[in-house]
Amino acid sequence: MTNRLIVHDIADKAEAGALAEIFAGDTVFSATPAVHHCVGCFGCWLKTPGRCVLKDRGSDFAAMTAAHEEIVIVSRLVFGGVSPDIKAVFDRSIGYVLPFFYKVSGETHHAKRYDRSPGFRYIFYGEDMTDREKQTAKKLAAANMLNLGGVAHEVEFCESPQDCLDLLAARRD
Amino acid sequence: MKITILNGSPKPEKSASEGMANALRERIERTAARTEQTEQTEQTEQTEQPDVTICHAAKQRHAEIVDILAGSDVLVLIFPLYVDGIPSHLLRLLDENQEAISEAASGATVYAVVNNGFYEAGQNNNAIEIIRNFSEKTGLQWGQALGIGAGGMVGVAPIGRGPMKNLGKALDQLTDRILHRKTDPDQLIEPNFPKFLYYKAAHIGFRQNARKHGLKVKQLYDRP
Ligand SMILES: Cc1cc2nc3c(=O)[nH]c(=O)nc-3n(C[C@H](O)[C@H](O)[C@H](O)COP(=O)(O)O)c2cc1C
Repeated sequence: MTNRLIVHDIADKAEAGALAEIFAGDTVFSATPAVHHCVGCFGCWLKTPGRCVLKDRGSDFAAMTAAHEEIVIVSRLVFGGVSPDIKAVFDRSIGYVLPFFYKVSGETHHAKRYDRSPGFRYIFYGEDMTDREKQTAKKLAAANMLNLGGVAHEVEFCESPQDCLDLLAARRD
Repeated sequence: MKITILNGSPKPEKSASEGMANALRERIERTAARTEQTEQTEQTEQTEQPDVTICHAAKQRHAEIVDILAGSDVLVLIFPLYVDGIPSHLLRLLDENQEAISEAASGATVYAVVNNGFYEAGQNNNAIEIIRNFSEKTGLQWGQALGIGAGGMVGVAPIGRGPMKNLGKALDQLTDRILHRKTDPDQLIEPNFPKFLYYKAAHIGFRQNARKHGLKVKQLYDRP
């Protein structure tokens, strides 16, 4: 069985509980209430490599990512990207890669800290998504994949957190 | 004309975004003063000196920023690329205050200046799209975005000279666009400095910084 890390921004207790039930046995990380935002200090590269220097539950998400084979991101779609709560977790996790640069077909990316590369699955929800926002989300997921060295990614859209739960429950293997 | 520049770097000071925000304000004020002078000698109507304010999204409270935004004709968002998108605290400000911003700055023209750590300015394109989507959803007018590669160079040399010549020119052009609230295709700017040297300098910097923090270079590769 694939070992999964689910990171979500579902604030509703019942819905978050239902999500945890669908993924019983996996690691479920709630991005709400929000973790502190990144302060741009690069301590996760140069002071405490791989770990954020700020102290709250957002400090070790990079290491958590590395310990899983699949990362499932359930996020409200905000202007074509992840929500502020999810983004706060991601910004705090760039220690997942090394500071050092390397080039892939003319573009620069960071060298990997860990050998293993997980797959990423994005499930976005929201009621009034525009086509442009959906396009942005797909491009963003692809860019994240390149920059984080993920092996594969998938992007899906739902209308509400409940729809995400239905989709995930139906596809649970 | 009221122009609000929003610095979206979470660094309290000395960020590339701050450097560019100051450089832009200075250019706007200088250009407007010059225009006023010419117009006076030609005895035409006096133009108003624009009122330019710089806010800091991480240091100021949301309500305070929304107040400052009130009545702005132009909103300039200047911020770093974070994980291919916009920093979470800036995203939160725009998301949670979308309605308030749309009322406070209704009809304003939005410009964005996004800088990133990698050399390739094109990597800023997704963050630029996010700001465009924000602008569209909030009912603001889209002006233009600049994507600035190798943001680590800003502050190393004065903007407008040597390796920062392209950036200086781009900010001059942006100034003109802002003062006329013009819309133009986005523009990508890279420094007048070779890519390999930029990376070499960065790598040297990482190692020096690690030692400064009492780490051996080997420890930068730790796997917690
Ligand atoms: C959390 C975090 C995420 C970043 N993500 C990216 C990225 O995806 N691509 C990139 O080119 N640079 C990235 N950078 C580098 C910054 O964009 C770069 O250092 C920038 O010059 C900082 O600008 P500032 O001084 O205005 O804050 C990231 C930096 C941080 C701290």
